[in-house]
Amino acid sequence: MAAMRPIIGIASEGQTKEQRELFVTGAKLWPVYCAQCHNARPGSQFSPAQWDAITMHMRTQSNMPAKDIRAITEFLKQAR
Amino acid sequence: MLAIALTLFAAPRFGIAAGDSGDAPDLMQFRQEIDSLKGSEAAERRRVERDEKHIEELENQLKRLETQNQKLGKTASTLEINETKFSGDTEQRLRELQNQVAAKTSQPDFQSEMKRYLGTNQLTIAGAAAGSFIYDKQTAQNTFSLEFEPVLLYRLNDWILFEGTIEASLPPGSEAHFALPVATAQIFLNDYLEVNAGIFDQPFGDWYEDQSPFWVNRFITAPLLYGAEPIVPPTDIGVQLRGGAQWGALGQDVDYTAWIANGPSYDPAIPKPVVGQTLNPENNIATNTNGRAFGGRFRFYPFPLDSGLGRLEVGASTYDGKWLDSNWLYSWGVSAAYLFKDLQARAEYAESYRQMPTGSAPDNRQGWYVQAGYFLQHLPSTRISDELDDTLRRLELLVRYSGINQRAIVADEITTTPAIGFSGSPSIFSPHAREVALGIDYWIEPSIVWQTEFDLELPGRGGSQFAFNGASTPKFSAIGATANDKALLTQLSIGF
Repeated sequence: MAAMRPIIGIASEGQTKEQRELFVTGAKLWPVYCAQCHNARPGSQFSPAQWDAITMHMRTQSNMPAKDIRAITEFLKQAR
Repeated sequence: MLAIALTLFAAPRFGIAAGDSGDAPDLMQFRQEIDSLKGSEAAERRRVERDEKHIEELENQLKRLETQNQKLGKTASTLEINETKFSGDTEQRLRELQNQVAAKTSQPDFQSEMKRYLGTNQLTIAGAAAGSFIYDKQTAQNTFSLEFEPVLLYRLNDWILFEGTIEASLPPGSEAHFALPVATAQIFLNDYLEVNAGIFDQPFGDWYEDQSPFWVNRFITAPLLYGAEPIVPPTDIGVQLRGGAQWGALGQDVDYTAWIANGPSYDPAIPKPVVGQTLNPENNIATNTNGRAFGGRFRFYPFPLDSGLGRLEVGASTYDGKWLDSNWLYSWGVSAAYLFKDLQARAEYAESYRQMPTGSAPDNRQGWYVQAGYFLQHLPSTRISDELDDTLRRLELLVRYSGINQRAIVADEITTTPAIGFSGSPSIFSPHAREVALGIDYWIEPSIVWQTEFDLELPGRGGSQFAFNGASTPKFSAIGATANDKALLTQLSIGF
């Protein structure tokens, strides 16, 4: 179960092209990579600054590729 | 006009009167009538004059009103022009302000301002808490239990993170229990290499690092090989090198962890090393050897994300270290995890081989578990009520089978005190413990779950038992099969 409620992610106008690409990739990875161990938590649960710390922690826990955790981080920071 | 009419009317009568000269009363009457008509004519003239004057006044008023109306029209035009101009100016100013606001509060700028305000050093508190009710049939015990595990994350910058996990629990008795199972510095050197130094969850298999938090573990208890009689130490102190990379399409990854640590240690309350002795549960800081332990783990993810085949992980781990000078603990294990839509399944197998001092046979152990869970979130509607549908769709059904083999157990280490994640069943302390766990989880939120677990303890054949009972030399005995047992646990687990 990824998340019991739909998560709305909005690519904001201020995003760079790279951020938008990360956002889209993160939206694909988030429900799968997170759910491999636990339910994927919605971006609204933490502030962007908190996600920065939590996703660093999750990179250690999961050993997922750095570029993938960057994408998931970007998605979680924007999806709120 | 009126005067002429009166004259014409009066003339014939005067003529008739002249023809009848000498008729004085008639003449008098005529004169009176003429006077009367003259008076009426004068009154009529005055009335006409008044009317003309009134008409003139009305005409003047009309002119004044027309003049005023013209003035008002001009004023209205002027006001309309001013309003149009003002409206245009306002709209333009508003647009300018909106542009300024949009320019100043765009998300990247806002985030940048917030980052600048907050600084690079950030403290985040995550973690989990759980409250349980535990019942074991064999010991006829039931109790509430509570544990709180905050995880402190201190982010120094984008490549250094400090982590500390504080474990606080209230076991039966009058004292709280505190531990620090994790205290690490995580240093990300590049995209493929991280240094993780400190006290850490043993990165052996998937359990200790990834599956043990309350709300992450689908069950309340741990599988037997990671529970009360673990195969490898749950925590260690040392240095890890770790990282991951994508080797194919998105989702096709590999990851590695290699570490050096202080190594295993066993229950110090036992006066003499014996087969079946329990590994220290946490904060495994051993200084009783001259050697270090070495570990390695490799995991492989074969399926691309877009393949529709789900997410499969297969891994292998090893952990070898001296627990006593010249005496090693060797261990290895394999693991697999699979996620496909509403199904999640995982399995692990591990073995350990502990060299014993001269005169004792080696301490061999094997352990395994296989578990599966299925979310009912896509269950068809019952057509009874929406509330019932919503409740059912929050459920996850679970089953797990786990077992452990060891040649002997130590009677002095058997504990029946229930605690979070442990039912207190004595049947778990068996040379051939087996357990079937059935679970049902009700997911209130993605990280808040009410879990209920029913355990069937089904230990197999017997084995050996060591008992010190306060003596320095153990008493050895053969024991038969341990009795079966049942336990029921229910727990509210909250990840925060």
